[in-house]
Amino acid sequence: MDDLFAPPGTVWQPVSPALPRLRRLLLLLVVAALLVVLLVLTLLLELPVGLWLPLALVLLAVAVAGWVVVGRNARWWGYAEREEDLYVRHGALYRRLVVVPYGRMQYVDVEAGPLEQLFRVASVHLHTASPGTSARIPGLPAEEAARLRDRLTTLGTAQAAGL
Amino acid sequence: MTTADRPPRRLSPLTPLVRGFIVPVAVLFSTWDDLLRGDVGPVALVLLGLLLAGAVYGTASWLRTSYWIEADELRVDTGVVSRQSRRIRVDRIQGVDVSQPFMARMFGLAELKLDVAGGGAEGSLAYLTLADAEELRETLLRRRDVARKDEAGEAGEGGGPDAPPPAPEREELLARLDPRTLVLSLVLAPDTVVFLLVAVAVGTTVALMGSVGGMATVVPIVIGWALTQSRRLSAFHRFTVTALPGRLHVRRGLFTLDSATITLARVQGVAVSEPLLWRPFGWARLDVSLAGDSGSHDDDRPASTTVLPVGPRPLVLALARRLLVEAGSPDPDAVVLRPVPARARWVAPVRHRFLAAGADEHLVVARDGWTTRRTQAVPHARVQSLRLHQGPWQRRLGLADVHVDSPPGPVHVVARHRDAAEARRLLDAETVAARTARVAQA
Repeated sequence: MDDLFAPPGTVWQPVSPALPRLRRLLLLLVVAALLVVLLVLTLLLELPVGLWLPLALVLLAVAVAGWVVVGRNARWWGYAEREEDLYVRHGALYRRLVVVPYGRMQYVDVEAGPLEQLFRVASVHLHTASPGTSARIPGLPAEEAARLRDRLTTLGTAQAAGL
Repeated sequence: MTTADRPPRRLSPLTPLVRGFIVPVAVLFSTWDDLLRGDVGPVALVLLGLLLAGAVYGTASWLRTSYWIEADELRVDTGVVSRQSRRIRVDRIQGVDVSQPFMARMFGLAELKLDVAGGGAEGSLAYLTLADAEELRETLLRRRDVARKDEAGEAGEGGGPDAPPPAPEREELLARLDPRTLVLSLVLAPDTVVFLLVAVAVGTTVALMGSVGGMATVVPIVIGWALTQSRRLSAFHRFTVTALPGRLHVRRGLFTLDSATITLARVQGVAVSEPLLWRPFGWARLDVSLAGDSGSHDDDRPASTTVLPVGPRPLVLALARRLLVEAGSPDPDAVVLRPVPARARWVAPVRHRFLAAGADEHLVVARDGWTTRRTQAVPHARVQSLRLHQGPWQRRLGLADVHVDSPPGPVHVVARHRDAAEARRLLDAETVAARTARVAQA
């Protein structure tokens, strides 16, 4: 990968491999649901082949493209804990790198939806006084998310700087 | 320290009158003829009844409202039937504004608005006499400073909240806006350019279609524009900026007088705007981002983050330096700004000419905009977080954006379309500079 988004003197910690699995499952579920809808409509309305076949092919193409994109994006998620700040990198097409000083953190959220709980992962979301700070790390193993949250809050309190 | 050093007081007895002023006027207006004839009809009776009920309620509400300071809290009790008690911690107060809506001003009254850290819980006292409001503001700000010093474990030079108030410092006049400049600047405002373009477009279309009656479509545009500008005129009339130690005072208004306090420790960044048509006159406008600003200003009213709506550029920059005193009063204009590489024209065909960014030991600065040139500056010590962005086109061209995140407000420094390697260097350098400045301030 290129220098521009190189980690600051360390290596990027990857997110859990469960993240792409989770997102691919979600993708397949959605595509499967749409295919079922298409099938039902075809049978009920006796749609011509010229209509349902292209639609089905488009759905399949979306599934394949989504599969690839999810994998690529997951590889691009990474974070690096440094002494005084946290680096987060993400996005394969639109690349983003965020630097959040611990002293600027106001609070840390850990979120896990039903599907995420099934895969035993969670997201960690950092908030500063600026709404522009978009520091969110999805798909961390649940215990790693808890560890990171605790570490961040500890460091945040220790290095807290007022506004 | 628990000192009920201020006995509970009531708002001005004129409060119900000012609050409900419109009702008696409406009653009189609608029943004037009847009253003159000495013939009180049913409508007048109902209205008079309502008026009486309103007067009773207003008086009761006034009787049941009181405020005092106790245990470093401003306490406000309200409510005729169900009672409410609001307590505002003095050390959480960010700013205190005194506002005189037109009606209140007629009676020499004012409203005190409190900006409280943590957002949401805003306090307001309406109405006090102007003198009371100003005196209470001074008291609250002084006590806040003392409370914060106590918290920081420092011996306040005031010697605690019981010390007699220090002699009032003299306010230093920094800027006063004269009406001619204001009117001319509003006529030449950026909206005017848009307005003219729309008017010309509509006019041309109508002329081409050959219908003179169609000219009427321009009328609503003209009215809308005139309304916007007159609203600004009334808000910015007699705009005055004065300085006291640690803060600036902004006073403005034609009908409604507003007086806002800018605590210098809250300044997060400044923005200098120069619309195209102002540049021949060398005018600029100054806005500021403040910590704890709720950011929920209604769009109709000019924002209270404006420190000077229009003024000569040197004056605007002098004020900017005043605002940045916590960062060592750096001059945003002294920062060397570098343009973007020529290849940025493929992503920003026109805009790339106006993009520039740079940093020095105190500030990180970015400039942008053709019709309105905006120079935004944030002190290193106030940087929240930093971001590097690169889209697919930028990657092909070897460009990237650097965002400097600030609390909500008019200032958001973005160095767009920098050379990629330079962008990363800027990000890393700013990370270090922000950390150093933060540590130095702590």
